[in-house]
Amino acid sequence: MTRNLYHDKRAQWLLYGAVFLALAAVPLFVSDGFLLNQFATYGVYGLLALSISLGWGFGGILNLGQGIAFGLAAYGMAMTMQMQSQDPDSNPIPPFMLNNSLDHLPAFWEPFWSTGGGILLALVIPTLFYVVFGSLMFRARVSGPFIAIMTLAMLSAWYTLILDMQPYTNGANGLSPPSPLTVFSTQIDPYSPTAYWIVCGLLILATAGTKLLTQSKFGLVVQALRGDPERVRFLGYNVAVYETVIYAISGFIAALAGCAWVMLVQYVSPAQLDTNFSITMVIWAGIGGRLSLIGSILGAFLIQGGQSYLGDQFLNTWLLLLGAFFIVVVRVMPKGLAGLLELALGALARPRRGDGTGARADGAALPAAGE
Amino acid sequence: MGVLEIHNLRKSFNGTKVINDFSFDLTELTLNCLVGPNGAGKTTTMDLITGRQKPDSGRIVLRGDDITGLGEHEIAQRGIGRKFQVPAVFRDLSVRQNFEVAYSRQTNPFRNMAGRQPPGFAPRLAEVTDLTGLADRLGTEAGLLSHGETQWLEIGMVLMQDPAIMLLDEPVAGMTEAEIEKTVGILNRLKRTNTLIVVEHDMGFVRQIADVVTVMHMGSFLAQGSLREIEADARVREVYLGEPEV
Repeated sequence: MTRNLYHDKRAQWLLYGAVFLALAAVPLFVSDGFLLNQFATYGVYGLLALSISLGWGFGGILNLGQGIAFGLAAYGMAMTMQMQSQDPDSNPIPPFMLNNSLDHLPAFWEPFWSTGGGILLALVIPTLFYVVFGSLMFRARVSGPFIAIMTLAMLSAWYTLILDMQPYTNGANGLSPPSPLTVFSTQIDPYSPTAYWIVCGLLILATAGTKLLTQSKFGLVVQALRGDPERVRFLGYNVAVYETVIYAISGFIAALAGCAWVMLVQYVSPAQLDTNFSITMVIWAGIGGRLSLIGSILGAFLIQGGQSYLGDQFLNTWLLLLGAFFIVVVRVMPKGLAGLLELALGALARPRRGDGTGARADGAALPAAGE
Repeated sequence: MGVLEIHNLRKSFNGTKVINDFSFDLTELTLNCLVGPNGAGKTTTMDLITGRQKPDSGRIVLRGDDITGLGEHEIAQRGIGRKFQVPAVFRDLSVRQNFEVAYSRQTNPFRNMAGRQPPGFAPRLAEVTDLTGLADRLGTEAGLLSHGETQWLEIGMVLMQDPAIMLLDEPVAGMTEAEIEKTVGILNRLKRTNTLIVVEHDMGFVRQIADVVTVMHMGSFLAQGSLREIEADARVREVYLGEPEV
């Protein structure tokens, strides 16, 4: 009576550990700073895919507006880094504001003089926004495609708002802080192994934390309400609170990604709140396997890697290829590439043909709490 | 003084009076069958008790505590468990995980992040699997269970909640003879330690389980008593004989 290895918790953690180790070891083999920086941005995409997997895969919340948390946090981080290169006495106003004829620093920029305070705000504000917006949606029992529509609409609203506030946000040009992030009087070179390891560490911590969360009773209730929220409600759980919490945690992870991203590229613009980008995040998780955290992360690596290396050769055809690939995956393998692995391991676990009794019960896909 | 008292309940949908001045008392440790022709308002009464629908007027009192108008989860937390007419289980979770979710003593999301299950879980699970006969199905995905097993799983889930009152909506709908027989056994064991309301059409089944039968007609209380008294009641006979499909 062998069970499917895919659902073995110890095997899962082993796989996670192996992937974490491999990721952390990359700078030992890659000395090209430019390449390392590119790999680190993949780590940011991995964080975003993780956040989608948690919200959509586990919570059933199809969020097409994850760019809200990512973008707002990215702006917060860029504002923090911008203020690091301003001087309170001699040069308190960022140059683009002077070009837009502002003669004093807007009040909502003031807290970003402090690096710690600025980064904290960059993480807290998007999360709080998710708590408020989420509880409005979930208390009204909005579900399914309507969540997708509402999150998408909210994303567009933020995009337009930031684009239109030219004097305060530099509109379409966005913010490009002139120097890298400095913490504890050390400058973090975005092309250094240090920057890579910071992102890698965030990805590992967030993934391990999320994995533990999905294995807790909370995670189990969340997976139950994905299938039948009504039943969960009649068991005594406040479904709206559970949905809001999972949505906000997913937003917090995306906010982490936003901060890390600006640290790496020293740039943010409304493009980070573009609908295309948020939908791309969902495609990563869909192809990698939204029910698997690590599958979603690897899906992001695969597709962004493919875009960087194959995209150059195929040019515009790349988008067509990606679209076709997505349709095939959703149609044929609703659990994505991770689902393929589940099937393969399930076939291995099944007793050989001939002594077939019980084969169905054992080989049948049985999702453990985590995956 | 019942464990559950319903006073003058009214509910209309688009001007149609579905529940019309319905009052009802439930005695502790009895199995009370709620019967009545189609459209009598049995399921709506269940919806009103569990908070899925809000009454237009009237009061619902559980152990002296007014629960009228509370949300579904608040009513469930106060001790009313419900099994649905169409079995509602978490099909892509295992039977064991279904029971884990149903063990809802702790409903705070943040407390539930910490660990897996509070200490009372294991003995409760053993009791419930023993009663429902699902002990060797714990590892199975709930979606793969037979219809009868799914019904027993949902009864078991309601039991895991450790409710003051269990509401079962047509628990034997679609079951085979053998499955009905087993369900009768389960319910007869349950009623020694639990208070139950069972909505049922099948009078043969009611005969085997009911302590008290309550008859509803057109959204109102028609009669209550032992099955023998009910069967002798002239008004009940009129209502039922006028409705040959029941």
